[in-house]
Amino acid sequence: MSIELKNLKPSYMSESEISDSDIYLCKSLFLEDGKKYLVKANSGHGKSSLLNFIYGSNTSFDGTINYNKFNGKNLFDYRRTEISYVFQDLRLFKGLTVFENIQLKNCLTNFKTEDEISDMIDKVQLSHKKNSLVDKMSLGQKQRVAIIRSLCQPFKFLLLDEPFSHLDNKNISIITKLVSSEIDKQQASLIMTSLVDTKSFAFDKTLNL
Amino acid sequence: MLIKLQKKTVIISQVIGYCFTLIFGVTIILVTSQFYFDIKPLLSQQTGVFKNNAAIINKNISIFNSYDKKGIYFKNKEIKDLKKQTFVKKISYFNSASFEIKMSHPLFRTDLFFESIPEIYLDVETDEWVWDESTDFVPIIVPESYLNLYNFGFAQSQGLPVISKNVIMELEFDVEISGNGKRKTFDSRIVGFSSKLNSILVPQEFLLWANKKFGKSNINSKTSRILIEFNDPSDKNILKYFNENSYSINEEKLEFSKLAYFFKSSLLFVAIVAVVIIFLSIAFVVLSFNLIIQRNKELLLNLYNIGYRDKKIAKFYQFLIGGITSFSIILSVIISNILKNYYREKTSTLFDFEFGANYIVFIGLPMAFFLVIVYNRLIIKNIKKIVSKTN
Repeated sequence: MSIELKNLKPSYMSESEISDSDIYLCKSLFLEDGKKYLVKANSGHGKSSLLNFIYGSNTSFDGTINYNKFNGKNLFDYRRTEISYVFQDLRLFKGLTVFENIQLKNCLTNFKTEDEISDMIDKVQLSHKKNSLVDKMSLGQKQRVAIIRSLCQPFKFLLLDEPFSHLDNKNISIITKLVSSEIDKQQASLIMTSLVDTKSFAFDKTLNL
Repeated sequence: MLIKLQKKTVIISQVIGYCFTLIFGVTIILVTSQFYFDIKPLLSQQTGVFKNNAAIINKNISIFNSYDKKGIYFKNKEIKDLKKQTFVKKISYFNSASFEIKMSHPLFRTDLFFESIPEIYLDVETDEWVWDESTDFVPIIVPESYLNLYNFGFAQSQGLPVISKNVIMELEFDVEISGNGKRKTFDSRIVGFSSKLNSILVPQEFLLWANKKFGKSNINSKTSRILIEFNDPSDKNILKYFNENSYSINEEKLEFSKLAYFFKSSLLFVAIVAVVIIFLSIAFVVLSFNLIIQRNKELLLNLYNIGYRDKKIAKFYQFLIGGITSFSIILSVIISNILKNYYREKTSTLFDFEFGANYIVFIGLPMAFFLVIVYNRLIIKNIKKIVSKTN
């Protein structure tokens, strides 16, 4: 699957506010199959908005986004099988444990077995917190849970919105490995936003917003 | 997992509150309805003039009008005034025969009079109450008191045999009517006995036809008895008005109408209160649900964002509210049935009447069905509204 962005810009931004962007107001930008993209920009430049536009959870944009031949703003079905997303605010469920939060997503498609999920929790060093409520965990721990959750579904595009903002280098390295292996397995593309340049993944292209 | 998550959004006390108010309201409405249908036959036994909140009035007969009969007839002015009274719903007249009538049988021969009233006021149910010009048979209804007078008075004192209703209804006799120089004989038979109407009655169509053909035209316009249908028989102005105008009315009969009217009004009042309670409980649960989804807006939106459909999110609430509603109404049906059996047992010692069908289930189950459908639609509509709001 590839995604084409045509003359895209957030409705709330005027054209004069957008300067030297590789994405916004670009006549045609293809996000291709199996490629890894880093979207870089300072705060307030619409990084999260861009991912929300692509995910379909925000439709306040001008221009068009084409998903292969499909063109539309109602992307609900893509959320289960085509596009997975790690929100910047994580959107975990406070009343559920680590395992339950992941399982809540997984049981939509039964993509991973319980053992596979436990294995991933183990890899990100959260096995001791498996049955703890996420509400009682640190931001860094929550970030790891949200990333595992995003891997528990089939996808062609994985969207990560500043996923490492609360992680140390050791954990970044663990997560990068885990995500990379899943992307490779699913032959999917990656779009990750970041405030700064990062070498965590071997990005094919860096796009300035 | 989803159920565990959504279960935490529900406030148990609100659910219990809804459950109780619904049970309370539905039980009252079911018992009231069943009670109404059960006692309906008792009320309708008092058919004819009483079913319609009606009474017969005539002028008081005094020494002054016993020879000058003009005094016993209602004047046009008086009828107009009566029609103007707020308690009067409808006025019907007793039609009197204005021709000569002779009844004959091998055993007896007597002069007679006929009157008629509109059929809806009759308190006798019979299929034979029909007449048309092509038949020579005229059915007659006589007051039950006439038969009693004969059986318990005349027959006793004269040593004559007593006669049952059935025997007398088998007797056929001739009725000869004459007037305007014409004469005609009809076959006739008593087809019923009225306990309320103190007159010898024939079908209205017959009397109108016979008056036209045999009657003296000057008597037609005179009315001595009037049937009044009341808007509200308990209106205190009724008796006051009749006393002031020296009209005679059977107060006991009016009392029954009043009682029936009060009884129906009370039942209606209780039913209205019950409907209000039910509506309040519905409003309460709808409000509670809206509060729940407003308070958990973010949670519901997150579920939608990770791929849960609105229908799947709504399912829990539909199941919960639908289940509680069905449970409450089924419980109400059971309670109502127990109450019904209790009051039936009590009332059957007071009155001798057959109880109607069981309406509790017939009313309760469709009500549950209807409410569950309405709630389901409302829930999915509101959930859709919440989750379709994009960031």
